[in-house]
Amino acid sequence: MSDGASPAPSTREHGIPWRRWSIVLHRDVGYLAVALTIAYAISGIAVNHIADWNPNYRVTKTFTTVAPIAATDANVIVTTAMERLQLTDAPRSSFQPDSNTVQLFYKGTTYHVDLPTGKVMVEATRSRPVLFEMNQLHLNHSKRAWTWIADLYAMALLLLAITGLFVLKGKNGITRRGAWLTAAGFLPIVYWLVFLR
Amino acid sequence: MTVFRPLALAAAFIALSATTAQAQGKNYGKQLTLKEKTSISAILKDPKAFNGKRVQVEGTIVEVCEERGCWIKIASDKPFESIRFKVEDGVIVFPLDAKGKLALAEGVVKVSTLTKEQAMAQAREMHKERGTLSKFDSTKYTQSITDVQIMGEGARVKE
Repeated sequence: MSDGASPAPSTREHGIPWRRWSIVLHRDVGYLAVALTIAYAISGIAVNHIADWNPNYRVTKTFTTVAPIAATDANVIVTTAMERLQLTDAPRSSFQPDSNTVQLFYKGTTYHVDLPTGKVMVEATRSRPVLFEMNQLHLNHSKRAWTWIADLYAMALLLLAITGLFVLKGKNGITRRGAWLTAAGFLPIVYWLVFLR
Repeated sequence: MTVFRPLALAAAFIALSATTAQAQGKNYGKQLTLKEKTSISAILKDPKAFNGKRVQVEGTIVEVCEERGCWIKIASDKPFESIRFKVEDGVIVFPLDAKGKLALAEGVVKVSTLTKEQAMAQAREMHKERGTLSKFDSTKYTQSITDVQIMGEGARVKE
């Protein structure tokens, strides 16, 4: 991004002032891209390590025991399980995966009750605040209009990369120090091509 | 300051649209096209008759892939039965809080035969994900099994 300096006048007296335009575009598009860049960068790190943790949800499993349930009628099983667990609200729904188990589904919490033993696993699911939303945006779960917004953002990044090359002149410009650093930026791609592909 | 009024109006419009859409249920993937529903119990009773056929099923979501939201299990209309609705990773992502909600889902039935070892590995993985590894009984897997799932294309999840 720009160093905050006012756009320098073009070195050419005639024709299109490319450098001036580069600086202006780099500065203003840079401001516009700040919010999404932060969201995408944080979420990028989070989802990169999906094998080690769940970046969207915090799932906690706790265990408790109630008296065994001997009923066989599905409705009676559900009401008995609710009583034993001291749940007053009706569940969103329930399911018996087998004759020995009943699952009660509440918003954010599922109770897995083993009927013959009364052992209960309480599975609570909470979305990770902010990170969940950032991941949704990054992975474009919403589709629809977000696809276009994400495309626009990608084009903005492209513009930032290109205009960034021409912001500075002199020893720190693209023809000297900038050339070396830009070339160094290609090293991760070369590393991937040679060793990881 | 004049910039804030249109921004506030836009935010209010987005919030209102979101509330309306949520009341109708949330759509995932392709739009549902089939007019008739097929009962899950019918598919599970004679899976080979449905192999390769596009079906629309309805039932409670009883399980969601914890890691990627890339599959859900939908309860059958008969007790103790459910079917896996598998979607392409990243194309459709079901949220974990869809558990217990009603799903109307469309896709193609896929029937495959799993070897004893494959069936055992799949079951072990499921138990691991659920945190019920102690319940996993490897002696139950003595022969190859028929695996039935729906390769999902689109779904609507209602409250």
